Amino acid sequence: MEASEAQKERDAVLAEVIGLKKGPAALRMPMEICARCGTCAEVCPVYNGKREPRYNPALRTERIRSLYKRYATFSGKLLNGLVGARDYRGGEIKEWAESFYECTGCRRCAVFCPMGIDHSIMTRKARSIVHKLGLTPKRLLTVTEISLRTGNTDGASPEAFLDVVEFLKGEMKEETGLDIPIPVDKVGAEIFFVPPSGDVLVNPDAIMGIAKVFYVMGTDWTMSSRMFDGANYGLFTGDDASMKADNLNYINEAKHLKSKVMMMGECGHAHRIMKFMMEKQGWWGKLPFEIINVMQFTADLIHKGKIKLDPSKNPQPVTYHDPCNFARSCGIIEEPRVILRAACKDFREMTPHGAENWCCGGGAGLSAMDSIQEFRMTVSGKRKLEQVRATGAQFLAAACSNCKRQLTQLMEYHKEEVAVGGVHDLVSRAIVLPKPN
Amino acid sequence: MEGFGYFVGLILPPVTVLVFLGGLAYRILEWRKLAMPKLTLYPAPEPGVDTFWSVLKATFFSPSLFKADRFLWTGAWVFHAALVLILIGHVRVGMDFPAIWAALGINADTMSATVGTTAGIVILLATLLLTYRRFSIPRVQEITQAGDYLALFLLLTVIVSGNAMRFQGHFDLNLTRGYFAGLIRFQAPLPPLNGWFLAHFLLGQVLFLYLPFSKLLHLGGIFFTHTALQRR
Repeated sequence: MEASEAQKERDAVLAEVIGLKKGPAALRMPMEICARCGTCAEVCPVYNGKREPRYNPALRTERIRSLYKRYATFSGKLLNGLVGARDYRGGEIKEWAESFYECTGCRRCAVFCPMGIDHSIMTRKARSIVHKLGLTPKRLLTVTEISLRTGNTDGASPEAFLDVVEFLKGEMKEETGLDIPIPVDKVGAEIFFVPPSGDVLVNPDAIMGIAKVFYVMGTDWTMSSRMFDGANYGLFTGDDASMKADNLNYINEAKHLKSKVMMMGECGHAHRIMKFMMEKQGWWGKLPFEIINVMQFTADLIHKGKIKLDPSKNPQPVTYHDPCNFARSCGIIEEPRVILRAACKDFREMTPHGAENWCCGGGAGLSAMDSIQEFRMTVSGKRKLEQVRATGAQFLAAACSNCKRQLTQLMEYHKEEVAVGGVHDLVSRAIVLPKPN
Repeated sequence: MEGFGYFVGLILPPVTVLVFLGGLAYRILEWRKLAMPKLTLYPAPEPGVDTFWSVLKATFFSPSLFKADRFLWTGAWVFHAALVLILIGHVRVGMDFPAIWAALGINADTMSATVGTTAGIVILLATLLLTYRRFSIPRVQEITQAGDYLALFLLLTVIVSGNAMRFQGHFDLNLTRGYFAGLIRFQAPLPPLNGWFLAHFLLGQVLFLYLPFSKLLHLGGIFFTHTALQRR
């Protein structure tokens, strides 16, 4: 019985590894051209957090590379160790399940690798193999299951959502004296807004900021009481089937609402999946709506002078953390800065920033895993902590629920007096609204 | 030395040519078949000509490595630049083109004595620098494999034996030209029985034999990977 389990594991892993021979290029090329120059380690947030072989990206992906050479190449079969090949060790998939969940998939290595190798692609592939063998971290499996069942990763019911919406409207009424609407399930609304559920349930300031922008512009928009969470953990676990199933729910909802625009909220990986994976790869054919991000929308309005922000409402020093998915994978780099410069009196850049910014330390689903919190606080988040400290900022804006969770914990753990929030949180405070009648 | 000369000069060359060209062609043809979904990494160049230039720049100048690791960039860039000069210079080992040199206004012997000699020394220093780096920096040392040492060993011995030919008195290139002329006509000529030459020629061939199976293959693959990242 045990022997056959081991055999099954070995066969499954090797079938996947040998399959890399057929591509895609981003998976096969690194098997053959990595020069082992160590640049990826030099720029990796995890390795920079703790300089140990365990965290060296090239050594992590060498787990796959060495097997590929041994089982998929003639030279590896012939020359073995001389070309870096080695035999599969029974049970090592359990090590993969740990190791590949110590990569935040931030793609910073790809920015600097002279060979153009992107380790995040290999991390996701390895995680998909881990998933096939049933070793995906439990927390991520649970979140995926909840999201497929309820439409959001927090498992909140439509009733709970409606309660929150009523509460937020009340808050805004109290603050501004205005009846600022948050339309729900409105068929025919021009814009279907898809936030991360964290922005509804945990940090709702961003939603209020966005509702105010729509209010000033008189925009016809809606949220869905059943589909209010763009988060999609299939990207993190490497499970394409669940990623697509989760995604399809949102496409169907957008079609049901007959919206012309699907506007993604402050959630990097959600925007990436919608705009750069689903739409670009045409998962569901031609779509009857376009996909934009709320930060593009607001930045454009500021640029055109259509909304006014009062920076004196945000006097404290503010800095911006570039979520990896927004900056490196979606190119949304300038928009949040346009918004923050307009909304804050003292906006400060981190060093480095934009596409070269360090990961928060919680990317690729790690942020949700309490089992590795110590690692996130002391290793993967170390560089980010130093960066934030160096700015002297008191408010750390991040357009991503996963980043926000990681950063909030990071600031608390290290006893930093830095508030963490979204970009539209600051818009909510600064936007100039008409006087109530 | 005659038997060794026959082995290095007659038996090995056809094997080297077949394995090197065949191996390289096989790899590149394989790579061309691979699906290459866009993995755009921003800020990405505008599609079209901009992307082409950007990929070329990444391939030849690696500006991102310049930012990340100045030491490695310097060693690697100088190494490759000297390598290109040396490979061009080696054309004269097989055949001389006096008419071309004259048309370009170049005194080939002076050029060889200055540029060639300098490149030989520079590439040795660059390779030593990269070797030192591989041994001394933990993040590099911990990912180093047998193949990396082999590549460095072959490069260093090829470079040292090549330089030795320059500094061990005059080496008459007419000898090699006659030999190569015979070789491509399948006349089975004996190569110059000079110890440094035979050592250099043997090690050089081993390097070319190893290349299609090693990371040195990045010379062909780098275009593919950078293109995948830069295309929008």
